[in-house]
Amino acid sequence: MTVWDDVVGQQRVVDQLSAAALAAGALITADPAEARPDSSAMTHAWLFTGPPGSGRATAARAFAAALQCVSPDRALGAAPGCGFCEGCHTTLVGTHADVEVVRTDLLTIGVKDTRDLVRRSSLTPAGGRWQVIVLEDADRLTEGAGNVLLKAVEEPAPRTVWLLCAPSLEDVLPTIRSRCRALVLRTPPAEAIADTLVRRDGVDPQMAAFAARAAHGHIGRARRLATDEGARTRREEVLRIPQMVSDIGGCLKAAQQLVDSAVEDARQVAEGTDAKETEELRAALGASGAGSRLPRGTAGVLKDLQDRQKRRATRTQRDTLDRALIDLAGFYRDVLAVQVGAATELCNAELRPTIDRFAASSTPEHTLRRIEAVLDCRRALDRNVAPLLALEAMTVSLRAA
Amino acid sequence: MKFRVERDVLAEAVAWAARSLPARPPAPVLAGLLLKASAGTLSLSGFDYEVSARVEVEADVEDEGTVLVSGRLLADISRSLPNRPVELSTDGVRVNVVCGSSRFTLHTLPVDEYPALPAMPEASGSVPGDVFAAAVAQVAIAAGRDDTLPVLTGVRIEIEGDTVTLAATDRYRFAVREFLWKPEVSDMSAVALVPAKTLLDTAKSLTSGDTVSLALAGSGGGEGLIGFEGAGRRTTTRLLEGDLPKYRTLFPTEFSAVAVIETAPFVEAVKRVALVAERNTPVRLTFEQDVLTLEAGSSDDAQATERLDARLEGDDISIAFNPTFLLDGLSAIDSPVAQLSFTTHTKPALLSGRPAIDAEANEAYRYLIMPVRLSG
Repeated sequence: MTVWDDVVGQQRVVDQLSAAALAAGALITADPAEARPDSSAMTHAWLFTGPPGSGRATAARAFAAALQCVSPDRALGAAPGCGFCEGCHTTLVGTHADVEVVRTDLLTIGVKDTRDLVRRSSLTPAGGRWQVIVLEDADRLTEGAGNVLLKAVEEPAPRTVWLLCAPSLEDVLPTIRSRCRALVLRTPPAEAIADTLVRRDGVDPQMAAFAARAAHGHIGRARRLATDEGARTRREEVLRIPQMVSDIGGCLKAAQQLVDSAVEDARQVAEGTDAKETEELRAALGASGAGSRLPRGTAGVLKDLQDRQKRRATRTQRDTLDRALIDLAGFYRDVLAVQVGAATELCNAELRPTIDRFAASSTPEHTLRRIEAVLDCRRALDRNVAPLLALEAMTVSLRAA
Repeated sequence: MKFRVERDVLAEAVAWAARSLPARPPAPVLAGLLLKASAGTLSLSGFDYEVSARVEVEADVEDEGTVLVSGRLLADISRSLPNRPVELSTDGVRVNVVCGSSRFTLHTLPVDEYPALPAMPEASGSVPGDVFAAAVAQVAIAAGRDDTLPVLTGVRIEIEGDTVTLAATDRYRFAVREFLWKPEVSDMSAVALVPAKTLLDTAKSLTSGDTVSLALAGSGGGEGLIGFEGAGRRTTTRLLEGDLPKYRTLFPTEFSAVAVIETAPFVEAVKRVALVAERNTPVRLTFEQDVLTLEAGSSDDAQATERLDARLEGDDISIAFNPTFLLDGLSAIDSPVAQLSFTTHTKPALLSGRPAIDAEANEAYRYLIMPVRLSG
């Protein structure tokens, strides 16, 4: 096992990052009296871009681990990023002293949060290697926050490395973008995802192939589809919507159903992680067993966690709806592919008869209009339109088209 | 793991180590205190990614081992235990604390997720704990608080042979303190920039021992860590990158006037007059023939004036200061008499302390303060 195992289908990026980690290691072990080793492979600011689910944050974390790798094998010439040593392990579980991962459950990262980052970035690393700051949602930086970071990203302390992640280069302020080395992750091929699911999660190959295809290259989603029966059922329900929208009543029902299933989904995710997180924190603060009293003065910490979980629930709901809409768009994409006779693989091969029926009963123009309706709905949700209203508008236009 | 230790020893050690635990742990394991028992000693460590604290006490160790428990809870428990020897032992994923007839069972946290504690650099020299704490307090007052200018939030420690110089600035004032210490190597020379807040806390917490030893890891190259050790307690803290501006030339050496004022009445007067000074408006000081007139407020608003005896050598001068910065300096000189040296009303003034009106100024501590430019 190495730290790169979780980075699926990105061989080129992995090669580049390994080389960088190697050069970074050479910089640390170099004798200051001698000439500096060639360090062009390494730089102080990286921008990871790639479509959602391609594993930007995972790649950034793996790189951080490789930078902190203290495996004894490295002296013998092994590549950094063993995945076992203290440096790798604590980075991957998120407790390494020199790796700060910034993520947000909110819609934006404001100036206040970034001020502290600037201060941190000018500290020296505690472990004597690198101080790594991973900004998982660089696209959510407000303009003000981005400007606060400019100076720190451009000229950080000699041992500070910034790893920014964003869906695309355009999502980041041009002034920040120009200060980073860009790394583009591609949508991982379905085979690579399926392979990972089989290898790591022990999923049945056939199921893995299905999940990888259905997830449109989103690794996390694929794992969820492959391992969670409920997620598969909900997906099937979503894909039944095109057949439900033949009359107005059906349209409204379909919209309601989508919202309900998103709420349900968020609740299930929350059930799994919230309880575990709360329990871990309670144990760390010294409360043993559920319901027992917390030591004095720690209630605030727990309250913070609860607030954070609540915000995450809101975001999960949004993300779930968004994913449902992508599934829906995927269905119409398949219909369109059949209609124009394109020789690509269908995302929903198991629904072939339904897709054929739809393809025969409508024209490509209709299908395109429907896809447009789905995408409009995504945009509306993004702008904070009430979910039920936006979905109703979508289902009605799916019918009208 | 199993060991026995005196209750007072444990309570004191736990309380000290738990002080450095983060109030809001970034990761649950950081709320833990790492207990390590080996060959007659028990060490307790806490870490918040920036500052690490480690204390060693003698203990009767039966089985060696390492365990991570909630620091907060252990501190609460050890504080309230009866005054009997305490026995701590692990039992699977639990820790039993037995003291007299009371018995506690605590959960442990995963040790393998705990980050590596930074290694303590080798000691470079030592200084009496109270001298160090006082010097740090005098200088840290002038450090900046703006996180977007990280360099100015630090205190610069410069070691040159047997002299240590502490310096801090926030651009409006500059505090410098020199003191002597005992270096390990006589011709040692090093510079470090330490976050002011951390340094202040650390210096205060180490006053219990006779001396504090300072340990600087190789300066430059970004591997900087500074360690402090006193009476079995050691802390390390991460340094700030960068350096303060070269300040030696900022301090004027020739003056057109030197005023000597008794500190206590001066402080009282500044405080009174400053009551009418609104935010960011100055207190004006006018020195004329051994009388100091303090004024604040503008003619449109409330005004205050007060007269005070002062001794002035040199030309009369009128100059204005931010009252907070002036008061900070007056409290930091820690002397019965204050000496203010001026060049002109637009150039910084130098504040230092005198043990008595007629004594020489104490040059160990100097506080440079920028005047506020008066319009018209």
